[in-house]
Amino acid sequence: MFILVSLKYFTFMIRFERHTLGNGLRVISHMDESTPMVTSNLLYDAGSRDEDPDATGFAHLFEHLMFEGTANIPLFDTPVMMAGGENNAFTNNDLTNYYITLPYNNLETAFWLDSDRMTGLDLSDGRVVTQKSVVTEEFRQRYLNQPYGDILLLLRPLAYKVHPYRWPAIGLDISHIEKADSTSLRRFYQRYYNPANAILSVAGNVRPDDVFRLADKWFGTIAAGDRNVRILPVEPPQDGHREITVHRPVPAAHLIMAFHSGIRNSREFYVLDLLTDILAGCDSGRFPEQLVRNRELFSEADIYLSGEIDPGLVIFSGRLKEGVDIMKAEAAVTDELSRLAASPVTPAELDKARNRYESHRLMSYLSAANKAFSLAFHELLGDAEGINSETEQYMSVTVDEIMKASSLVFRPENCSVIHYLPEQK
Amino acid sequence: MKRQKIKTAPAIITPSPGDTSFPEFTRLSNGVPVYLLGNGAVDLLRIEFVFNAGQLVEPVHLAASATNAMLTEGTTLHDAQSINDLIDSTGAVFNHTADKDSAGLVTVTLTRKLEEVMALAEEVLFHPSFPEKEFRMLTDKRLQAFMTGRQKTSVIARELFYQALCGVNNPYGRITAADDYKALAVADLNAFHSLHYRTDNMYITVAGRRPEQALPVLERRFAGPGTGKWHKPLIPALNFDTAGPGSIFREMDNSVQSTVRMGWRGITRDNPDYQGLQVATMILGGYFGSRLMRNIREEKGYTYGIHAVAGAFHGIGYIAIMTDVANEYRTETIKEIRMEIEKLRLEEVGVEEMTLVRNHLMGELARMFDGPFACAEAIRGIIDYDASPDYYTRFAETVRTITPGKIKELVSTYFNMDDAYEIIVGAR
Repeated sequence: MFILVSLKYFTFMIRFERHTLGNGLRVISHMDESTPMVTSNLLYDAGSRDEDPDATGFAHLFEHLMFEGTANIPLFDTPVMMAGGENNAFTNNDLTNYYITLPYNNLETAFWLDSDRMTGLDLSDGRVVTQKSVVTEEFRQRYLNQPYGDILLLLRPLAYKVHPYRWPAIGLDISHIEKADSTSLRRFYQRYYNPANAILSVAGNVRPDDVFRLADKWFGTIAAGDRNVRILPVEPPQDGHREITVHRPVPAAHLIMAFHSGIRNSREFYVLDLLTDILAGCDSGRFPEQLVRNRELFSEADIYLSGEIDPGLVIFSGRLKEGVDIMKAEAAVTDELSRLAASPVTPAELDKARNRYESHRLMSYLSAANKAFSLAFHELLGDAEGINSETEQYMSVTVDEIMKASSLVFRPENCSVIHYLPEQK
Repeated sequence: MKRQKIKTAPAIITPSPGDTSFPEFTRLSNGVPVYLLGNGAVDLLRIEFVFNAGQLVEPVHLAASATNAMLTEGTTLHDAQSINDLIDSTGAVFNHTADKDSAGLVTVTLTRKLEEVMALAEEVLFHPSFPEKEFRMLTDKRLQAFMTGRQKTSVIARELFYQALCGVNNPYGRITAADDYKALAVADLNAFHSLHYRTDNMYITVAGRRPEQALPVLERRFAGPGTGKWHKPLIPALNFDTAGPGSIFREMDNSVQSTVRMGWRGITRDNPDYQGLQVATMILGGYFGSRLMRNIREEKGYTYGIHAVAGAFHGIGYIAIMTDVANEYRTETIKEIRMEIEKLRLEEVGVEEMTLVRNHLMGELARMFDGPFACAEAIRGIIDYDASPDYYTRFAETVRTITPGKIKELVSTYFNMDDAYEIIVGAR
């Protein structure tokens, strides 16, 4: 049975080659001849978990500064656009990721730009002041001026007491961003933005030989620097149920229940990822069926993994229907989760999740940019080959494993709850 | 310290727009147009069904979007839970699309599940049952989302803008109220569905590896006996009378930012200047390094983003500029927007900036036509607005050849600041 499954699902592989430069820069190349474009993705092993607790939001602010130009290239975006490219970046708790997608014959322009800003960034006060202001407006626009926008700001310090995941990548508070100064920004740059601490991944219509040759030409002479070896405080097992209640100007109540789980690089991750898909990944999942359609407690009920590299969270997130008591709603979610023991996941549910995994995997690999990031991320986890081998991880999940993992994770003393309620009128 | 030796910059190769040609086109035996977009790299097919069933043709407000959303909430053969279970079991994705000018369904399926998935597509598109309970639940959910939107400055500003621009006598300018959700009934959905979800009123795009393999199943499912003979979609005549230009301020107590949205009437796709105007608007605020982004974000730090677009519906075009800024910067922001437009009106764009915008747009075109799924999205703009099939090829030509003099002329002609609507939504 298992062999048949394997044959069926292993037909689509992402082929790639790897090469490490003398200075430690890890380079990955995947050729895709079906596109006229190429994505150059540069991942730095530095995220908000590397920040000082009194200066959060730093890694993300730094990401903004990486677009502010250098002595050689004062305007970063100009050459990107001249080359017909587009570029962006994101910062999360674990890493900072930069990418440029452009016509394949301009790949060298991307390498020129990214190697240049790995060494010569302009961190003058003027640049810093403006980007601090931009990031402050981003904080307001995305987290404060949006209904329900501050949920993550509330959840992280509730669920984590010790580990730096206790703040989100945008930072704990706007005041931290306002305090950032160019001396500490320079220190951050020196420490993390080095070849030894980065992974360059290229996906698109360029041959691996050419990728490696050009990577060596542009990045090969940069001093290696040090790899980020982090020793982070370990979050102790949660010792009891946590709960907060807030009131906000929103039309409907919202319930968050977050459970601690394991690291990204573990069997448990795949088991729980498949389980959350069965519970709420699609309209016919258990939560939409039971909590939304049958019992009419929620208008939306979702559950997902936060997906961090260090031990992460399984997060239930549900918008309540008007007039529903939040305690009753919470009890219903708990019921549904404990039902996993009484009425385990069925073979049909498992099969559905596998089909969905297969089609979603193919869909995500329509984009060279997705493939490039995914390769770099798996390399950061330990092995880029993970992009292919994780299919087997998902396909081989058993009902037993799901039951075991869910009884381990979905315990009341392992849970942090937010009751997010409308202000009294 | 950390510096490396400066190397000569690599030569940039001028980007080309890729293959922007209109796709292969065929018809089912009842005349339904099918557009085929091939060369996919993986065994997936994206099959989209588009109907002339948008807000434009709805007799009752919200009927178009509600009908569309209810398609997968139960059919004459299956209740809501079973039909969703069947769809999800195939691994397929069914995405509802309901816009102002059209509505339909995007299906993405593993090629090996094509037969099953098309049977389900036929079932939900042509045999929905609109059960009362699911309709009530959907209405509650939509109303809740609507009420959440009431808290967003950007949502209110957009609504006020379209109302001011288009007037209240047509679907584009109509403002939704909570009561509209309550007034809508299942009978409205049944009526709307039987009038607009018909094979005589739809087209299909098929994208992926070997799209032609879908034709036999499409023929069987959507051109059998009883399916209507296709005709060109009928676009109703619209009344665009408005109260005229001016400023509108809407107070929102708790907001830490204000949304500024300003704009005025533009032109439609049939106007020969339409494509040139796209380029001019791009220079003002259509990309990361645009005049407005440089000024308002990168120099002043007032905002996380500011954008300008030139767009068009049926019968009316518009130019709009929007941004979210700290409350204290909004007056200054409007002043700066006006100043940037004035500069474009008075001074020709330099050669360097022109080249930058040309190359950037060429890159955009290349990305828009990168792979069959992307192409399928790109060509909808042509089909829905009955633009000529060489629209993007001509656009590439416009981008390549438009002169700074022409840009200046277009700004003078079409950026009518005296006709501007200025919307501000934020704290007093």
